[in-house]
Amino acid sequence: MSNLVRSELLKIRTTSTWWWLAIGAFLSIALAFAFNAWLASETLSGGGEEFGYTGDAASAPAQAANLYTSGQYLGLMFVMLIGILMVTNEFFHQTATTTFLATPRRTSVIVSKLIAASLLGFAFWLVTTIIDLAAGATFLSLNDYGTLLGEWEVQRALLLNLMAYAIWTVLGVGIGTLITNQLGAVITASVLYLIGTQVVGLLFLLLANVLDNMAVIKWQVVWPAAASQVMITPGENEMLPAWWVGALVLVGYAVVSGVVGILITRRRDVS
Amino acid sequence: MTDGRPSPTNDAQIVVSGLTKRYRNVLAVNNLSFTVEPGRVTGFLGPNGAGKTTTLRMLLNLVTPTAGGATIGGQRYPELADPLRHVGAVLEASSAHKGRTGINHLRVICAAAGLPRERADQALELVGLTPAAKRKFKGYSLGMKQRLGIAAAMLGDPRVLILDEPANGLDPEGIRWMRGFLKGLATEGRTVLVSSHLLSEMQLLADDVVIIAAGQLVRQGPVEQVIGSMAQGVRVRVRTPQADALTAALKDGPATVDSDGQGALLIGGVDAPTVGRAALAAGVELHELTTERPDLERVFLELTAGKAGIR
Ligand SMILES: Nc1ncnc2c1ncn2[C@@H]1O[C@H](COP(=O)(O)OP(=O)(O)O)[C@@H](O)[C@H]1O
Ligand SMILES: [Mg+2]
Repeated sequence: MSNLVRSELLKIRTTSTWWWLAIGAFLSIALAFAFNAWLASETLSGGGEEFGYTGDAASAPAQAANLYTSGQYLGLMFVMLIGILMVTNEFFHQTATTTFLATPRRTSVIVSKLIAASLLGFAFWLVTTIIDLAAGATFLSLNDYGTLLGEWEVQRALLLNLMAYAIWTVLGVGIGTLITNQLGAVITASVLYLIGTQVVGLLFLLLANVLDNMAVIKWQVVWPAAASQVMITPGENEMLPAWWVGALVLVGYAVVSGVVGILITRRRDVS
Repeated sequence: MTDGRPSPTNDAQIVVSGLTKRYRNVLAVNNLSFTVEPGRVTGFLGPNGAGKTTTLRMLLNLVTPTAGGATIGGQRYPELADPLRHVGAVLEASSAHKGRTGINHLRVICAAAGLPRERADQALELVGLTPAAKRKFKGYSLGMKQRLGIAAAMLGDPRVLILDEPANGLDPEGIRWMRGFLKGLATEGRTVLVSSHLLSEMQLLADDVVIIAAGQLVRQGPVEQVIGSMAQGVRVRVRTPQADALTAALKDGPATVDSDGQGALLIGGVDAPTVGRAALAAGVELHELTTERPDLERVFLELTAGKAGIR
């Protein structure tokens, strides 16, 4: 199995697509960090209400957590795309034949892709976090808040961020096995991730109004991107499920898409 | 290339038995059985759409059979402990990532199969592709792509080689190289199964042939035997200024007389001495009298007549 994982990682390293996605992800960190830093300085100087930050969310640890996870929104999409490409590339470039000749046990191939994807997700998180930590700690110290790294709220945000990166990469592999058409998979997943979340939010808001029950909004969590948001958002209220509900939903999607992907791949004719 | 492994003959034998594949409305392969022996080049022949590719893909577990099965050295492909050390395959519609270099393509396979990394360099050398090792696949010519495919198949130094239409897109020089390469592999005792629809090439290359049409076996055996089995196919070519007189002289025998369209007669059903004798008796002047054995192409066309075509 370690041979297979090594082979999958080599596949990634030896093409340029992945580097473009990495560059994209790190550009998005830079932009997000600048924005979050501006947001933090406005909020911490008392202007948080303008952005909907009140109470706990306006506290220094909450703002620090936000700052230390800058770039997550697009970063998660990029790792998902990498996961997708790990599978669809095999069909797009017709390398599936070679891959399955070397390893006729297809379950092992998909499992090794899932492991390689998680490792990659971890690497993205690590690099992202190192950049965010360096920039965030500098920013916060310069503004006399200290690094705030001792706060559990901050540590928790970093760990959940890690979990999000790993799950979304795995989810990408799952989506790739379900939609093997490269363009189809990439477009579907990006649209669902970027636009889908807003649409789903709106739908649930409408539904909540129609049913005259704001708790319905909670159920947005069934949508993967919304679940991801719930998972990384501290606190819990009438409209917001606890973080672990989001985590469970997301893990559920990753497991189901992985298992279904394996089953489909085992039966698929490669011709 | 061999590493002294004990290899009993049947270790590299391919056995296809009752193999069947039904796609929605096509019976691509229909209850097909044949065997392929080590130490020989076996040509797998059939018109386009006969089911060659589907058969080879089922043999390699890439396509699931509707019925029947196939083994290599007595084992189904996915049961082989080290598939790439046992079997090398070059298939149609198999390719490399356009943006990956040739050498990296091979290294990826080495990693997956647990082969040492140096095998990638050695395999490239073997097919003469070393100068293009660090070039991206999208810049490869058709012939170079075909060679890279062969290099990939040779990574594990396998005892069994399976190639699907390897001559496609090769120039005459490339085809010559391929012929020498494959014959060499068979001489070393390996099993070489090559599909093709190019018959003149197969006649030069193959020791045995397996001929299929419309998904079914038509004939299997050594090339000479298959050609010889078409006894009625032996004809006598005659050139004469008195064609009508000769035709009349042969009228009462079993002979059939046709024109070859180029001024000569093709006479079937009798041998050359019989024709010569008849001509002498009738006082007919002959300018040519030769026995024509059918070639693989003619045998093939006769055997597969009416079964070719798009299904
Ligand atoms: N994936 C597929 N779906 C449907 N029909 C197929 C598929 N693959 C092959 N066929 C059909 O099966 C038949 C045999 O095809 P193939 O094995 O490619 O023949 P050959 O390699 O001898 O040219 C053809 O009629 C082809 O159209
Ligand atoms: Mg074919």
